[in-house]
Amino acid sequence: MTKEEIAIKLKDKFGSELEILETNQPEAYVYISPARYHELCQFLKEAPEFDFDYLFQLGGVHYPEDRFELVLCFSSHERRHNMILKVKLDKDNPQIVTTSDIWMAANWYEREAAELFGIKFVGHPDPRHLLLDDDWDSGYPLRKGWTGPDFISMPEK
Amino acid sequence: MGVIEKVPAYIERIPGGGIVTTSMDWVLNESRASSMWYMLFGLACCAIEMMATGASRYDFDRFGMIFRASPRQSDLMFVAGTVTHKMAKRVKVLHEQMAEPRYVIAMGGCACNGGPFYYDCYSVLKGIDKVIPVDVYIPGCPPRPESLMQGCIKLQEKIKREKLSDWASDRPMPDRTIV
Ligand code: SF4
Repeated sequence: MTKEEIAIKLKDKFGSELEILETNQPEAYVYISPARYHELCQFLKEAPEFDFDYLFQLGGVHYPEDRFELVLCFSSHERRHNMILKVKLDKDNPQIVTTSDIWMAANWYEREAAELFGIKFVGHPDPRHLLLDDDWDSGYPLRKGWTGPDFISMPEK
Repeated sequence: MGVIEKVPAYIERIPGGGIVTTSMDWVLNESRASSMWYMLFGLACCAIEMMATGASRYDFDRFGMIFRASPRQSDLMFVAGTVTHKMAKRVKVLHEQMAEPRYVIAMGGCACNGGPFYYDCYSVLKGIDKVIPVDVYIPGCPPRPESLMQGCIKLQEKIKREKLSDWASDRPMPDRTIV
């Protein structure tokens, strides 16, 4: 499917909960409200016309002014189309339901986003650290403005 | 007689065989310096250069250096690559598992002081010498095999300066050699 077809089909089903981003990229860029995030993911995976069976990236973004964002990129082996899905999360208490029951790959990606950004994934089956040490207790290093014990920031030019 | 002339020895011919008188320090140091077995162990891109040095083009074998896949059999550890905080603990354990006398060469900017990851990095240790003692530092990103071999020659020189009597006491912290 082209990105326009994806956008129209999703807009029909999810209405005002879903926002299509205008870009010059070849993939569709879509914002979804956190309330219907899990439902949309399930739909994208299972609906035969979408068939997004391959989650190849899930990561966090920190906008220190107002929000966190979760960005998911997936593609379909069968239908050869890609799509980017974004969710806006709360600035102080970023929290979202897990998608590791839909894509196995989400399990590790979510563990990574959880330890690096402090996003809480509700219902995650294995919420241990993935990349950081088990006894790491210096906060969430990929948040803007983070400093830690051994951290040296780049001096101003 | 080329080799014999370099040996600090007194050779005497007597009927039925020869007696060589030489110093214990010299024999031990020469044999240790010519058979530094290094641990098969690399952490990042610098390890690729170490592998190149070990392979046939540059050929570590002619130094008598052969890799060992166990710390128990190694005399030398190349810390070749980026040491993260998480890995630093493991490197320390491996270093402790090596039998004395043991030597460490910090290879590349990362192992010397964090290198390209010195600023704005949450995960990289700023120099392996914060965790284990280092004998020779080789800067570069990555150092060429020639630099690595020069580092090994520096270490050989250092080993040859050691005395048996040093072994009895606790080995002093190594002095810094920058190639
Ligand atoms: S010094 Fe350079 S080449 Fe060596 S491990 Fe670090 S980044 Fe890689």
